[in-house]
Amino acid sequence: MTRDTWQKLKSDRFGMSGLVVVMIFAMIAVLVWSGLLGQGWSEVTGNRFEGASAEHLFGTNLLGQDILQRTLSGTATAFEVGLLVTICSTLLGTLLGGLAGWYAHSWVDELILWLKGVLDSIPFYLFAAAVAFALQGSPWAMHLAMIVTFWTTTARIIRGEVMRIKEREFIEAARAIGLPGLKTVFRHVLPNTFHILLVQGTIVFVAAINTEVILSFLGLGIKDGVSWGLMLAESSQEVLAGHFGNFLAAGVSLFLLLMGFNLLADALQDALDTRRLLT
Amino acid sequence: MNVPYLTRRLLYGIPLVLGVTFISFLLMVYFGPDKTYELIGKNPTAEQIKEVRHALGYDRPFLLRYGEYLRELVTLDLGISDSNGERVSSILIRTLPVSIALVVPGFILGNLLGLGLGLLAAWYRGRWLDKLVMSASVVGMSISFLVIIIGLQILLCTPYGLNLFPVRGWQVHDIGSYLYYVAVPTLALVLVTLGYNTRFYRAVMVDEIERDHIRTLKAYGASPVELLFKHVLKNSLIPVLTRIMFSVPFVLISGSLLLESYFGIPGVGLVTFNAITSGDQPILKAVVGLTGVLFVVALTVNDMLYGVVDPRVTKWASKS
Repeated sequence: MTRDTWQKLKSDRFGMSGLVVVMIFAMIAVLVWSGLLGQGWSEVTGNRFEGASAEHLFGTNLLGQDILQRTLSGTATAFEVGLLVTICSTLLGTLLGGLAGWYAHSWVDELILWLKGVLDSIPFYLFAAAVAFALQGSPWAMHLAMIVTFWTTTARIIRGEVMRIKEREFIEAARAIGLPGLKTVFRHVLPNTFHILLVQGTIVFVAAINTEVILSFLGLGIKDGVSWGLMLAESSQEVLAGHFGNFLAAGVSLFLLLMGFNLLADALQDALDTRRLLT
Repeated sequence: MNVPYLTRRLLYGIPLVLGVTFISFLLMVYFGPDKTYELIGKNPTAEQIKEVRHALGYDRPFLLRYGEYLRELVTLDLGISDSNGERVSSILIRTLPVSIALVVPGFILGNLLGLGLGLLAAWYRGRWLDKLVMSASVVGMSISFLVIIIGLQILLCTPYGLNLFPVRGWQVHDIGSYLYYVAVPTLALVLVTLGYNTRFYRAVMVDEIERDHIRTLKAYGASPVELLFKHVLKNSLIPVLTRIMFSVPFVLISGSLLLESYFGIPGVGLVTFNAITSGDQPILKAVVGLTGVLFVVALTVNDMLYGVVDPRVTKWASKS
């Protein structure tokens, strides 16, 4: 990211507020990971369905567990899912998109495009159910399902961009001095797609957090630990009896984090001028 | 009509169908749970185990089993549900109309409203109305489907809110009861899709409005209504139709899966949800395989229609 981009980003008020929100949640996640926050998420510290009090700021749930602790711990879960899925699917998408673009219209390209077409044709929640079914209750089934399907959009964008960069003079120069093809792709072509990956990464992050909630509700998500999706799934039974603690805590946190990421992604697209490429 | 183009699109669909069915076969039949010991009594002999495995087809070669799965999908002879012993095909035929009735109003409304708001924002591009619509769609995109459903249920279906609509269920026998039960799910579906739709349609319309012939028409004093509906909308029909075609299976599946399991509506989504939670393999493999195949078919028809609607597409495609 150049200084120019940073200047543009800094002058975008919405983008900066998004960045601040994301950073606050990221800090909470780091504090949870380092054992300073949200450690008491599974301890029973009160009666069932206590209202908000000084001791339990967001009240307690059905089992008497503190909802604030669970919300904080859920932040870390959201970042674990988001980071893992984003990093893995971006790497996979860059690799496959890069190969497809470099060897455009060859059998390698055809094969990758076929795989992408196939994966894009299976409705995602059903695919996640199928993966969970095949892995028989593995806690990683959800992550795997997301990684295996989320790379396709990144690959499509990278493929197009690599095909464009391939025609540029510096690549021709690399070829002229006899640099091997794959070395050129990894050293000189793909690094030039970093700005696209940054934007696409934030979009994948949003999708991953959003998807975790739905999958956890469907019983295909987080298996051990706590997440906002599990809290919302719990709350679906509770709201009818007038207990809104879980729903409000998880719903509002989820909204704030997604909103922060969406604003950041928009601002990044404007600052890096990638909007044309990503639609 | 460009026959070579049409046949090529058709041929392109075949490897996709094979891929989709192969992945569902691999995940749900080949690597799926072994059902031998569910069907067998206590202390089975090796002979009995072999017999059951043979009846389930586990001892047959890989490709033969895949072929068998393909045959099941093509002939719609999808076996019998593990949980209630009903034929899978008759379950699907019984529940599909419910899902379609549930999802269609929200799908249409979500697209029409998105198109309308997108046009409005594009027309007033950069002005406060555009900014308002675009900020509202970012907010809409940031609310999870599940949060929308639970929130609407609290606000509209419980004594903590307005208490106007049923909390859950589907007792539909005439148009009045249909509207009564479909209202909240429809509103949820509209809210969850509206943000994405509006953004997409605005981008399409902005591209179209900025073209030279639109500017010329504007300069010649064409009325906004004539401009928007006769020139802008008509010329952007292809991206609009593509989006609608592509989103049909996804809205149908994910919409019905969530709405039906949440509101207890007896459609394909609830059947699938129950199959997921109980591990009902015959239903799952049928639903996954069939939706995948249907999607590829829709995609192929869509591509072929392009060639008919816009001859430039076939020319462009044969060049590349």
